[in-house]
Amino acid sequence: MQRRPDWVPESVDMERPSAARIYDYLLGGSHNFAADRDVARKAIAAMPDLPVQAQANRAFLRRAVQYVAQAGIRQFLDIGSGIPTLGNVHEVGRRAVDGARVVYVDIDPVAVAHSRALVSADDGVTVIQEDLRRPDRIVDHADLCAVLDLDQPVAVLMVAILHVIPDTDDPFGIVARLRDRLASGSYLVVAHGTDDSRPVEVEELRRLSEKTATPMTLRTHAEVAPFFAGFELVEPGLVWAPQWHPDAADDIGEHPERSSNLVGVGRKP
Amino acid sequence: MTGPSDSGSGDPRHVPDLAGFAHTWARAVAGTSYVPMTHTEIEIHLRGLAQRLADALLAEPFTAVPGHQIGADLAAAGFVAPEALGRTAAVLAGRLLADVGLTGDEAAGRLGALLDAVVTGCVRGIRDRTLDEQEAIRRAALTAREQAEQALRASEVRLRYLALYDQLTGLPNRTLFADRLAALVADAPAHARIGICFIDLDGFTAVNDSLGHRVGDQLLIAVADRLTDLASAGGYLPARLGGDEFALLVTGTTCTDDMVKVADRALSTLRAPVRAGDHDLPISASVGIVERRTGGADPAELMRAADTALHWAKADGKARWTVFDAHRSARDVVRFRLSAAMPAALDRDEFTLVYQPLKDLGDGRIRGFEALARWRHPELGVVFPDRFIALAEDTGLIVKIGLRLLHQACRQAVAWQRGYPQPPFVSVNLAVRQIRHPSLVAEVAAVLDDTGLAPDRLQLEITESAVANDRTDTIDTLAALADLGVRLAIDDFGTGYANLSYLRHLPVHALKLANAFADCLRTPDPTDPTGEAILGTLISLGHTLGLTITAEGIETPSQARRLAEFGCDLGQGWHFGRPASTRRVAQLLTAEHGRPG
Repeated sequence: MQRRPDWVPESVDMERPSAARIYDYLLGGSHNFAADRDVARKAIAAMPDLPVQAQANRAFLRRAVQYVAQAGIRQFLDIGSGIPTLGNVHEVGRRAVDGARVVYVDIDPVAVAHSRALVSADDGVTVIQEDLRRPDRIVDHADLCAVLDLDQPVAVLMVAILHVIPDTDDPFGIVARLRDRLASGSYLVVAHGTDDSRPVEVEELRRLSEKTATPMTLRTHAEVAPFFAGFELVEPGLVWAPQWHPDAADDIGEHPERSSNLVGVGRKP
Repeated sequence: MTGPSDSGSGDPRHVPDLAGFAHTWARAVAGTSYVPMTHTEIEIHLRGLAQRLADALLAEPFTAVPGHQIGADLAAAGFVAPEALGRTAAVLAGRLLADVGLTGDEAAGRLGALLDAVVTGCVRGIRDRTLDEQEAIRRAALTAREQAEQALRASEVRLRYLALYDQLTGLPNRTLFADRLAALVADAPAHARIGICFIDLDGFTAVNDSLGHRVGDQLLIAVADRLTDLASAGGYLPARLGGDEFALLVTGTTCTDDMVKVADRALSTLRAPVRAGDHDLPISASVGIVERRTGGADPAELMRAADTALHWAKADGKARWTVFDAHRSARDVVRFRLSAAMPAALDRDEFTLVYQPLKDLGDGRIRGFEALARWRHPELGVVFPDRFIALAEDTGLIVKIGLRLLHQACRQAVAWQRGYPQPPFVSVNLAVRQIRHPSLVAEVAAVLDDTGLAPDRLQLEITESAVANDRTDTIDTLAALADLGVRLAIDDFGTGYANLSYLRHLPVHALKLANAFADCLRTPDPTDPTGEAILGTLISLGHTLGLTITAEGIETPSQARRLAEFGCDLGQGWHFGRPASTRRVAQLLTAEHGRPG
């Protein structure tokens, strides 16, 4: 395939389902189009509890932000932020700490345009359209540098994003590259889809994801763990999403593995 | 009714504990919608709503109006899933009256009215929110699309720029230059005139090679800047055609002289050295000019003409302009065609020889023949060597042609060798490139071997300039040829360096004096005997060196007589016989020797 030069932009095709808008639909939002809802309904047919698992993922993001905020983090870099509606990082972060500064990054131009409309008046929050596969362009982005000071600790959120980076794009190298730019005391927050627990249903979701611009590459627990190379995993380690610092013990439920979502938080020593 | 009758103040009242109710409610709606709150926070939030519901139920006089806001607030908190509303209705209907401590039909009626308001408020909230979100995402999509289109337009502009402008200097490139020229030619009135300069730096490759491309690029940028200044002052279109070649397109000229003035200005602006890096680089340029009426002009042909003129300027010594000249170009074209036709002509054996006698100035007998090349061209007829030997030298084909003709000449000389008791030698010209060719000696040896010609019946003529530079490899070649037993003659002696001293070191046997010497005998000037004196000295010096002297260009009996008096050995010229075919040569020999035996 001929490689498109950088300066030739993507076109915006509303007929093409977008992961960000499908996720919004699963959370009960209406920031989506018919093509998105069509895929979302098929996904729910394949996995009827998918909306609950999407909520569990979103709830993990909230708990992780609260956790690192309590640990003193004031700066957040949310990569793959999608459509930050209810419970977005800057609202959760600011509820936890005063003066939280947030940079959202997404590859989806519609998600980025929507995010900008949400935060444009909000100082200390900015949105960048960029591809995680070019991490240097993210950390060197002038808009990022205007909001975040990378010499100070930052929480890098990669929630439900690394499983859309195939091995051929070297996701571990990408994370390592970002890690090397982070100050000591920074955090890495990861949520990663896996087919460890529900292979048949998850395979159907993966197949559906091929309709979007960001098809999934699912990984096992052992394959996800190396993302934390160079970080110290905080308790309880790499676990099912409901198991990670639940608000209440009985929130975990009987089958946390049904989330099909491995999560963890690491601290750069 | 059983509720308190005081109302309107909105003060919190004593009501039964609603914690249990809120807990049940929270469990009922858990997981139906994403709400960015912990379970505890959700319970606290729902307890607040439960309190407001209880207040509404207990208010006097009763009104269901607060229910709308409570429903709206429920939706605003994020309980937007259909299940959340359904289960809320179920929990409210199932136990709110009991938890508030109300019973009876009227209370049930109040609850019914309140539920109506809550559901209405909630659904309206959900609907408004849905509409808002749809509007927001569509607006975002439009914005994104607009930005993408803008970026696309910018990239198209950039693509167009890349296609039409030179990236290094920012000047229009060849494409834009040619487009503009074509447009001008198409649109201009027939009487208008147009001019083009092609400007090429002299020796630019050396700058790149010796100082590097960075310095080379700086030089090109500086040149572009100067030409841009010149062009904007005069209203011309400048361009970089590629490499170190630039161009100016000039409209509204009145005559060729106008373009010459432009070329002069270009040459003069490029004369000052260019500061590049740490270097002050002296530069010069060559310019090809074409200027003509626009009517009937062909843009591509104009470009070619300017290019041709540029090549002439280079060939004529660089650092100058040259105006395109259709006649010169036509000659070039003929030369090019001849040059291109030569390989096929060689295959078809179109190169042949004619023979001109060399006679003994003492007894007048034939001693040898000079073999002279002719090209029997199928369309042009007989082409003389002055029109094709130099071309063959340029292309290098002379090596093959020369060998072929050498073979032909030797075969002919063998025929004479067989037919006559005192056979004449054959004298064959060698071009400079043949002499430089490493396998010449081996080839000459092979030809002698093939044909069986006695080596001393072959004389090879080389020009003075071929040996004047004293190259050791040339001298080695000549020595090796001499070792074969072949005679070597310096042709056209006296036209170049006429340096007798180098002859001492060369293994040559003969000198052929240039025509000029015979000319000075034809019209002797009694007041200036220098020409004759030089001729006499040359001949005696040649003899001192043991060389046979041949005079060329003898046209009259008196010239022949005078040369014989000077002691010149052999003569050649129309007086002794024009170049002739082998048949005619055979007649001459038979006349001297009788019929071949």
